[in-house]
Amino acid sequence: MGFICSIVMSWFAALVCLAVFFLAVFFLTICGHVTICMAEDQPLLAPVPATDTVPATDTVPATDTIPATDTVPATDTVPAADTVLLSVDETARQADALFEASWRSRHVIPAAAVSDAEYLRRIYLDLAGRIPAVSEVREFLSDPDSSRRDRVVEQLLDSPAYVRNFTTVWRNALIPQAASQPQYRALIPGFEAWLWTQIAADTPYDEVVRRIITIPVDSSTAMTGVLNSASSPEAFFVSRDLKPENAATGTSRAFLGVRLDCAQCHNHPFDRWKQQQFWQLAAFYADLPGADTASSGMPSGSGGDATSHRSIRMPSTGELIPAIFLTGDTPAWTDSTSPREVLADWLTDSRNPWFARMAANRMWAQFFGRGLVHPVDDFSENNAPAEPAVLDLLATQFVAHGYDLKFLIRTITRTRVYRTGSRQTHESQADADAFARAALRGMTPEQFFDSLAEAVGYYQPFLANNPFLTDDSSPRGRFLELYLDDAESPLQRQTTILQALAMMNGDFIDQATSLEDSQTLRAVTEFPRMSDAERLETLSLATVSRPPTAGELATFLPYLEASAQAAGETSSPGSREALGDVFWVLLNSSEFLLNH
Amino acid sequence: MDAVRIHRRLFGRYSGLSLLGASMSGWLPRLALQAESRGIRPARSCILLWMSGGPSQIDTFDPHEGHANGGPVKAIETSIPGIRIADSLPRTAQVMQHLAPIRTMSTKEGDHARATYYLRTGYLPQGPVQFPTLGSLLSHQLRQDECELPAFISVNPFRAFSPEAFGPGFLGPAWSPLVVADQRSSNTDISFEVRNLQTAPRLAAARIDDRIRLLNVLEQEFLAERPGIPGSSHRQSYAQAVRMMRSRDVGAFRLDDEPNALRDRYGRSPFGQACLLARRLVEKGVAFVEVALNGLENRGGAGWDSHTDNFQTVRDLCEVLDPAWATLMSDLQERGLLESTLVVWMGEFGRTPVINENAGRDHWPGSWSAVLGGGGIRTGQVCGRTSSDGMEIEESPVSVPNLMATICRAVGLDETSSNQSNIGRPIPLADHGAVPLQQLLT
Repeated sequence: MGFICSIVMSWFAALVCLAVFFLAVFFLTICGHVTICMAEDQPLLAPVPATDTVPATDTVPATDTIPATDTVPATDTVPAADTVLLSVDETARQADALFEASWRSRHVIPAAAVSDAEYLRRIYLDLAGRIPAVSEVREFLSDPDSSRRDRVVEQLLDSPAYVRNFTTVWRNALIPQAASQPQYRALIPGFEAWLWTQIAADTPYDEVVRRIITIPVDSSTAMTGVLNSASSPEAFFVSRDLKPENAATGTSRAFLGVRLDCAQCHNHPFDRWKQQQFWQLAAFYADLPGADTASSGMPSGSGGDATSHRSIRMPSTGELIPAIFLTGDTPAWTDSTSPREVLADWLTDSRNPWFARMAANRMWAQFFGRGLVHPVDDFSENNAPAEPAVLDLLATQFVAHGYDLKFLIRTITRTRVYRTGSRQTHESQADADAFARAALRGMTPEQFFDSLAEAVGYYQPFLANNPFLTDDSSPRGRFLELYLDDAESPLQRQTTILQALAMMNGDFIDQATSLEDSQTLRAVTEFPRMSDAERLETLSLATVSRPPTAGELATFLPYLEASAQAAGETSSPGSREALGDVFWVLLNSSEFLLNH
Repeated sequence: MDAVRIHRRLFGRYSGLSLLGASMSGWLPRLALQAESRGIRPARSCILLWMSGGPSQIDTFDPHEGHANGGPVKAIETSIPGIRIADSLPRTAQVMQHLAPIRTMSTKEGDHARATYYLRTGYLPQGPVQFPTLGSLLSHQLRQDECELPAFISVNPFRAFSPEAFGPGFLGPAWSPLVVADQRSSNTDISFEVRNLQTAPRLAAARIDDRIRLLNVLEQEFLAERPGIPGSSHRQSYAQAVRMMRSRDVGAFRLDDEPNALRDRYGRSPFGQACLLARRLVEKGVAFVEVALNGLENRGGAGWDSHTDNFQTVRDLCEVLDPAWATLMSDLQERGLLESTLVVWMGEFGRTPVINENAGRDHWPGSWSAVLGGGGIRTGQVCGRTSSDGMEIEESPVSVPNLMATICRAVGLDETSSNQSNIGRPIPLADHGAVPLQQLLT
C-alpha cells in the first residue's frame, strides 16, 4: 500500500517536473544542426554471422594479414564493409597495440604489470562483485599454469556469482533510480529476476534490449507485476513513470549513450540535438499509459489503431510530431508494425552508430572504472573517446560476435591494459584517459558489502520468497544505504566520514573483530599449530587478498608479542585479542576498501 | 568518551617509539601535539539556508499585493519601517533589522540542474572544471585548524538536481561536507546525532590508539603510490572521523542539551531543529553550515517547486521556515554570534509572477529574491526593485557572480583570490568581473 502511494507520488513528482519543462522560459539556440551521415547501403559494422557457430572463446585463428587500423571504422561515416571476425586474443592484441602506439606518441610510460594477487582480487571484484576467499587466493597463487589468469575468468563467467553481479551491474545501468530513490526500490526484485534469466542464458545483448523495448506495458498489470515482483523488464518503463518522454530519455542514454535530456524542452545548447528530434524519438513510445492525453497523438477514448501511435504532441508548440529515428531516417511503416518493434529494429541494427559502441564503452567502464567515453553515457561531438580506434574495434567485434557480452568481457580482461598494476610509477600515468595505470576505484555498495561479508565470514541470509529483495534493516541493507553514492564514476567515489565511523566503531565491524563473535578470527585463532606469522597471513589473505609484506610482519608480529606479554602469557594464544586489532586495521585499510 | 585521557595516554605510550616517526608523518591526527583549545571561533562563519526547488519571491520577500500577479498574499510591515514582506513570514518580519533582502536576483538559468549548479558554485557548468560548492569554497578559506569538527557540515541536502553542485570539486575530498540527516523516533524528538562516534565499550582507549597507529603505518605506502580521489578521500575522512571521535565538540550535535522552550521556538520540524544545530555548530567554530529546506513530510525533495497549488505550498513551507529562521537570527544575536555569522537564504531561482492555470508558479530566473543577513551585511534595507507586475527589474539587477563577491566580502574574503583548479587554471572565488554590492556591505 505504501508502495502504491509512493509510486503515485513519484508520478505526481514527475508530472511536476514535466510541467517545469513545458514552461521553461528560455530557449537556447545552437549553431547548426549537424546531420548524421550514414551510408544506407553499407553496414557500419559487420552483419551478425548467420549461424551461431561463433566460438565463445578464442578458437578463431588470428588473421595477421590485416593491420589493426584497417578493421576499425574511424568515424561514424566510414563503415567497414568487410569486417573480419577476430578471436578474443587477437582483438585484445589489437587493442593493446593501439594503446601502445598512443602511449608512445604521447610519451606515456605505462605502469608495471599487475601482480597475480592484485589481478585476482581485481577480476573477482569486477566479475563476481566480491573479493576472493582465502582458499581461492591460495589456490590461485600456487597454480603453476601460465594460463591461470585466463582460466579464472572462465571459471568466474561460469559461476552464479557472475550472474548475480552482472544482474546488479545491469540493473544499476538500466534503472539507476531504483538504487537512489526509495520510491522506485520496489522495482528491483522483478527487474533483477528478469535480468538474471537473460544473463544466465547468455542472451545476446541486442536481444535483451529488444525484449525491454518491446515489452507491452499496461499500467494496471505493471503495478500488479511490481507488487508481486513478477519477472519482467517493465521496470525500465515503470521507473520512467510510463511516460513517452522519460522512456525516450532513458532509451537514448542507456542504449545509445546520447543525452537528450536537455533537448526535451529546448534545442541542446552544446550539442546537435534539436527539441524536435527529442519528440520524434518520444513518439515511438506514444502508446505508453503515462502519456499525457493532451500531448499524445492518439484519438481520445480509444486504444487507437497502429498508426495513431506513431506521433506525439510537442507540449511547447502543440505540434504533432511523427516518430522518426535520431539519425533522421523515417521508419518504413506497414499497417501492422508496432512503433516500439520498429524502434528496437533500428536501435539494434548493426548500422546504428551508437548502439554497439555504447555497450562496449559500458563494459570497458565496468573493468576500468571509467569509459573510453566518459561519462559512460555521454557520447557527443564535444566528448571524444579516449581511444576511438579501440572503441570502434571492440564495437565492431562485439557485433561480429553476435552481441555476445562475454566476448567483450573476455577481450577486455585479456588486454595488457587491464593487466597493469595500480602503483603509479610515472607522472604520465596520472591522466585517467591514458589508461596507463589501474586507477584506484571506489567500490559499489554491493561490491563493498559482499566483500566485507566474505572477509569476516558473515553468512548473508536471503529472503526465501524473494531472493532479489534486500531487507533494509539487515546489515546488507544498512550498508548499501550508507555507501550510496552519486559520483559520476568509481574513480570519483569518495569515502564519507560517516562510512569511516561505521567501519571503525559500528556494531558489524565490532563483532567481526571480537573473538567471541567473529567467524574469521575464530577460525584463525582456534586452528591449532598455526604460528602468529601464519595467522597474520590468513588475515591478510582474507582482506587484502595477498600475503603480508615483510614490513607488515615486522610491524604486526612485535605487536602481537607485546600484547601477549602485556597479558602475562607466554604462548601465542595470548595474542588473540591483538589479532582482532590487526583484523580491524586490515578491514579499515584503503587497500581493502578500494578496488585497485 | 574521555577525549583528554586518550590524548595523554597516546602521548605517554608512544612518544618514544620509533614507529611513532611513521605515524607522526602520517595522515591521522597528531593528537599528542594538539593544543587543548576550546570554544574557537573563526573570524567568520556562514550559514546557508538552501531552498531547494526555487522559492516564490512574490509570496515571500517581494509581495505585489493589489496586482493580479500578487495572488491572495498580503504584504505586512516589518521591524524596519517601509520594508514590507509577505504575510507568510510574520516572525521573520520582526527580525528585518538583521536581514537585507535582494529583490533583483537575475540569471538566465531556468533549469533546476544548471541553476542549482550556478547558485551553489557561482559558476555555470563549463567543460572539465569541477567548481566547488559554496560551503567547500568558503570553509576552505575560513576554517581554523583548532576546530575539531569538520569545517563544512551539510544538513539534509537534496542533491538530485545536480549532485556535483554539492561537492568540493577541484578542492578535493578534504573539503567535502559532513552530511547529517535527521533521524527521528517521533515528531518531537528530532535528532542529528552522528552515529558510531563511540568506540565499542569492550575496547580500552589504548587499544583504539594502537589500532589507529597500526592503520597509519599500513596505509602509508599503499596510498602514497596510488594517487586518486578514492584514496585521498579515504585518508581525509578517516582523519576527520578520528578527530571527531576524540573531540568534546561533538556534543554540539546533542540538541537535548538545549532548553525545550528554545527548541520549541525554532519549531519542532527537521528544518527548525537543523537551524538550532547550525547555531550550535557555528558556536564551536564550524566555518560553514548548510541547512536545506526541501519538501515537507513525504512530499518529495524539491518542496519550493510550486508548479501547482503554489499558495498553499508556500504557506506550508513558510510555517516551517518562519519560526526557524527568525529564532536563528535572534538566537545568534543573543549569543554574540551574529556579527561574525553571515546568513544566506536562497534557492536556485524564483517563480513566474504570472499565476498559471493550476494556481501554480513556474520557473523564473529573471527577477527573484535572495536574502543576506547577519555579519558583514548592512542589514535593515532592501536591495533592488521590481516592476509593479514583478516581471521586470527597475533598479539594481544582481548577477550570481556579484552575489558571490558580496558573500565573500561579508565573511572577510577577497573574491578575486584564486584556487588552483583541476585543469591547472587558477579560479577566483567569484567569477572574473564580479563586483561586490557595496550598498549591502558594512
